[in-house]
Amino acid sequence: MSGDDDSSGWQLTESDPGVFTELLKTLGVPLVVDDLYSLDAAVLSEFQPLHALIFLFKWVSTGSAEPSIGGQYDPDFPGFFAHQVVNNACATLAVMNAIANIPGLQMGPQLSDLFAFTVGMDPQTSGMAITSSDWLREAHNALSPPSAISLDGLDLPKTSEDAYHFIVYIPYAGSLYELDGLKQNPVRHGSYSEAGEGWVAKAREVIEARIGTYPPGSIEFSLLAVHEDPLPRLREQLAQVQSAGRHVDANELIVKIATEDSKRERWAFENSLRRHNYLGFIHALLLGMAKAGTLDAAKEGAKKALQERIEKRKKGEAMDED
Amino acid sequence: MAETRLAFKAGRAFRRGNTNFVDSDPTKGAILLQNGEDGLLHFIWKNRTNNDAEEDLILFPGDATFQKVEQSAWGRTYVLKFSSSNQRHFFWMQDADGSRDEEFVGNVNRLLADPSIVPIWYSAGYNPNNQASTSSAPAASSSTPAASQRPGDYQPTPEELARIRSIVTSLGTNAGAGLAASSAAQHEISLTDVLTPANLRPLFASHPELVQSLFPHLPPDLPHPPTAETLQQVVASPQFRAAVRNLDMALRTGLLGELVRTLGLPAEAGTGVEPFLRALQDQARREENGEGSGDQMDTD
Repeated sequence: MSGDDDSSGWQLTESDPGVFTELLKTLGVPLVVDDLYSLDAAVLSEFQPLHALIFLFKWVSTGSAEPSIGGQYDPDFPGFFAHQVVNNACATLAVMNAIANIPGLQMGPQLSDLFAFTVGMDPQTSGMAITSSDWLREAHNALSPPSAISLDGLDLPKTSEDAYHFIVYIPYAGSLYELDGLKQNPVRHGSYSEAGEGWVAKAREVIEARIGTYPPGSIEFSLLAVHEDPLPRLREQLAQVQSAGRHVDANELIVKIATEDSKRERWAFENSLRRHNYLGFIHALLLGMAKAGTLDAAKEGAKKALQERIEKRKKGEAMDED
Repeated sequence: MAETRLAFKAGRAFRRGNTNFVDSDPTKGAILLQNGEDGLLHFIWKNRTNNDAEEDLILFPGDATFQKVEQSAWGRTYVLKFSSSNQRHFFWMQDADGSRDEEFVGNVNRLLADPSIVPIWYSAGYNPNNQASTSSAPAASSSTPAASQRPGDYQPTPEELARIRSIVTSLGTNAGAGLAASSAAQHEISLTDVLTPANLRPLFASHPELVQSLFPHLPPDLPHPPTAETLQQVVASPQFRAAVRNLDMALRTGLLGELVRTLGLPAEAGTGVEPFLRALQDQARREENGEGSGDQMDTD
């Protein structure tokens, strides 16, 4: 396992669909990532063609070297699998484990060179190779806040860095695979049927079984869908139904496109907020408050909030004792 | 009213006659560093059984140091030494857990060198000295020369008084290790409670000229030109909240003297959240009086 300071220049990023999608765009991969709030067939069908599922949860070390429930280690997995060797890189590494195994996926030349370079490497070495890539690290770091205030070297308490762990589920050669950068090998969960929902049905079964192994409410998790960008397809369909004069269908597609567009716009907005250095803004806000005469009242409010925290803590402590 | 800057459990130890042996006294006690009403820094040893301050030493900045007695086989005996005299006062750490000794001692020495600094506390359970990879404990680089601020300039504020109460309360109990320290770190108001959407929203509504003047400080690559509504979204966003939290934490280290200078603030503003806000209020007043914002005025 990597040590506390083993971030090798990789910064912590948010596990947000907008961040993943931006990263894929930078890598020249025409896929997008969306939050999944349910594993229902109806919800999943919205995201077809669906290439991978990323399961992320607050990681609790079990120290177990066993493959996860219902699966078996496959040391001969012929696809790409990299270990997580660097802290903070886990999200990007999960994305790599997913997209490197999608056959025929379009990607930028740097990324395809990097994957070609790792062919034949063991998972540990692949992990090293991936996380040693300067341009990949830059693409990853591009969406973490600029460090105008460098907290490095100030010995600040570490917050919940790297508390999330990412596990990828992909279909590969007719079987469902689970790629977990902290496990020695990929885990094979058996073959799936191409009929109906295909691999997604198998993935649902496996993920639900996994969630069932945790006591209810004991873990916070979310699921992300790595899927094809629906916009080109929707626009094409729109052109078709419009030329065929099917106005009702056209309106439905227009609504879908508008929803998708507004989501992209929200992502773009959030990503520009992520890249920003707020020091000047904070300074200007506080100056504005001071000049408007509201800073003193705000400080009083903060004191009250502090008092409440102290009271709460005291109560908590009284209960914790002995 | 005296303001306690720091407190931890420690007993006294005494030299056996004229020998170099030091015997520890089992009486339960605590060392407190206080900014007294007289404006001077007091080093107090308090008996935790009867709560009497049995020793009260007035310390001048830079005169005293608190050092480990290396000869002590036990390893947790310390001596208060003065450069102006041969006085020696011995103490032994009474917290069952010694993992935070260095943290307390570091802060004692920082305060002895400069009573105006804000102590640096690690969060509960975190001690960089326990980590092989970390270079050294936080340096005392925040200490501005002692002459720049006399101890008498220090104004205790209500939340500092609350801090004292909490420390004193914790001294009376057998509360867990380092309680005083961890609560001290949390007893300063938080910037996150100042820059709340609830505080900012009415300000934006009542001061349209402020709204305009804030636009240049927003991200330059927003998908649309900013409006008043954009500002509201930004101040409610997790990214902005995280930036405020970050600055708040960084200010608590007391080491932001250099950074705040880039905002046209004096170095003292980088020693904590309160000094930062006070300096900003001064800056706002100066700007309103028609003086330039980059003005490095002497705060005296």
